[in-house]
Amino acid sequence: MAAYLVRRILQMILVVFISAVATYTLLSFAPGGPLAGLRQIQQSSRFAITEEDIARIRAYFELDLSLPVRFTRWLVGEPRGPLTIGGKAFFSETVVGCRKPIESEILNASGEYEILTTGCAQVVYLKDLVGRRTSRGILFGDFGLSWRLLRDRPVSDLIQSRMAKTLQLIGLETLLSLIIGLPLGIYSAVKQYSKFDYIFTSLAFMGSAMPSFFFGLLMILAFSIIPKNAGLPFIPAGLSESVRNYTIPLIGQIVAGSTADRILHMILPVSVLTIINISGWSRFIRSSMLEVLRQDYIRTARAKGLTQRVVILKHALRNALIPFVTIVVFTIPGLFSGAIITESIFAWPGMGRLYILALGDYDYPVAMAIFFILAVLTVIATLVRDLLYTVVDPRIRLT
Amino acid sequence: MVAPPKVAQLEAEAISIEERSPFQVVMRRFVRHRLAMVSLGLMVVIFLITIMAPVIAPFKIDELNVNNYFVPFGTVDEETGRTHYLGTDNIGRDYFSRLIYAGRISLTVALLSVLIAETIGIIVGSLSGFYGGWLDAVLMRFVEFMLTIPTLPLLLIISSMLLRNENLVTIPQPVLTFLAKILLLNPRDARNAVLIVIVLAGFGWLSAAQLMRGTILSVREQTFVEAARSLGASNIRMILKHMIPNAMAPIIVDASLGLAGYVVAEAALAFLGFGIQDPVPTWGNMLSATQQFMFDKPWLPLLPGLPIFICSLSFNYIGDGLRDALDPRLKL
Repeated sequence: MAAYLVRRILQMILVVFISAVATYTLLSFAPGGPLAGLRQIQQSSRFAITEEDIARIRAYFELDLSLPVRFTRWLVGEPRGPLTIGGKAFFSETVVGCRKPIESEILNASGEYEILTTGCAQVVYLKDLVGRRTSRGILFGDFGLSWRLLRDRPVSDLIQSRMAKTLQLIGLETLLSLIIGLPLGIYSAVKQYSKFDYIFTSLAFMGSAMPSFFFGLLMILAFSIIPKNAGLPFIPAGLSESVRNYTIPLIGQIVAGSTADRILHMILPVSVLTIINISGWSRFIRSSMLEVLRQDYIRTARAKGLTQRVVILKHALRNALIPFVTIVVFTIPGLFSGAIITESIFAWPGMGRLYILALGDYDYPVAMAIFFILAVLTVIATLVRDLLYTVVDPRIRLT
Repeated sequence: MVAPPKVAQLEAEAISIEERSPFQVVMRRFVRHRLAMVSLGLMVVIFLITIMAPVIAPFKIDELNVNNYFVPFGTVDEETGRTHYLGTDNIGRDYFSRLIYAGRISLTVALLSVLIAETIGIIVGSLSGFYGGWLDAVLMRFVEFMLTIPTLPLLLIISSMLLRNENLVTIPQPVLTFLAKILLLNPRDARNAVLIVIVLAGFGWLSAAQLMRGTILSVREQTFVEAARSLGASNIRMILKHMIPNAMAPIIVDASLGLAGYVVAEAALAFLGFGIQDPVPTWGNMLSATQQFMFDKPWLPLLPGLPIFICSLSFNYIGDGLRDALDPRLKL
């Protein structure tokens, strides 16, 4: 068991590391970033930006460092300067980047001029990194500074407030899905081929085929726009609380930012997430119940004269929950991904929406931080799922 | 005089049942699945409409009707006498024509993604399942590794990179021209669609490979494979002629369900702004572009949303029907 855990944890670290390297590299090839637009400003004489200014700005955002160096500084906050052992500095002359690249236009094979970096006018040595501000590294909880969304503010500031909002959504979603979905699935399985079962399975089938963005639109239309236009009580949609006070017919005035306001705003996104989630989970619990109900020990339990209630809840459900528990654990990181779309529809200020904004606005430190968090969560969930297998079913042994 | 042989023959005829090929058996079972048949009919209609897009659509996708924004349904264009069946969008493009062309693009992207993903999946899965050993270990570890990365966030990063950075990936010109011909776009716009196909298929083959490997593993132990081997069939021949055809059932079901997934995934990417970009219509980006007009013109986002839902539901039902027809014990 211990050996298994050690191996798995090493594997997890490897997975997170490789995906971090891959995405970091990918994002570094992306256009934009804090330098986007600077070259245009440079053209006008009023805001003349000198070469030196550009070099300074590049250094400020660490764009002058070469990719591996930048990556390790982002990951663990090193190197911060030459290696000092016993008062002596090593590697201080090692080149780690380029302060002023030489760019020249070159005619390429297809006959077009491209701007390529052809050389370096001023290189950065490792000793130049001394005294430069740096994050403590994402591994130690320092996500660095935002480039554009909240310029020069720590990424963690941005994420913290949004994380809470997303956790609200996902927490409620999981809770409601379990409270509603589990009984629905069980009842449907026990009453197989009944009218209820038929209606339930068809609805669940449709629910799992329903794209969440379309479902969200339908919900906004049905519960927010149409009732509002008709002068009926409506549910507010968009953002997590409203900006100014508003009146709901028959209910009264809602003060912006009050608890009632927040709860009202939560109804639609949570129901979209929950309904789609229920259709998956309850279908799963139904089929796993059906399988268990066919087993011999259920017949034995019935033959002993146990009541239906005891047979279903004590004998069948416990065994049907085994595969279900693992599914639930494994879908939780997936819920974050699902929240990306739902948060975008409802303009919910959560992590998912922040991720889309960051990618759209070239704010790569923010995007990388969120991706890193999600990757870590997913990997942990995978491990927990595999461990849970053994807890709920002692027959499975991990090797 | 009696003729006993004749009687025996008659009897034999009476008890023998009509002979059916496996294909006929599957077809008969599929036809019995009513919802799957309805879905199939619906999809045939939608495919026909999108194939005949240039004939049916009265306008081109980028034809602007200046100053005629948001015209109501059925407005007739005064100059040319053509009808805006579903009105125009916020910059005066005919909504009906764009919807049809969008269907053509969305469905082609989904079909191509499925085709590529399942092909790679079949190859990787059967190699991995057949040869086992280190090849299996390497391939499957890689697949597992890819599956532990959160897919949607990574998809978003990759497609945002590919779409913005023209030089990052060069796509061979013949591919672009070919796809442009199918999609009725110019090759430059088709690049976008090719990238999305690459991104979707690049993640889609993972589960197909796992599925194929599992099936090959069970097929490998069956007697007909042993028979083929004892007759001296080469490895390649055994894989191609005996094992893959017998392992196709789950792949076919997976492909059908996959079509639903890809239609939705493409639309979701476009909805979030990282899919095929605006001048080229897809159901997803039409929905996201008109979402802001939902308050007074709700049909604008609903019209492209509806076919996404219909296609997703239909492909799911067809997959369900195929599973029941091919192998009811299949768990997918």
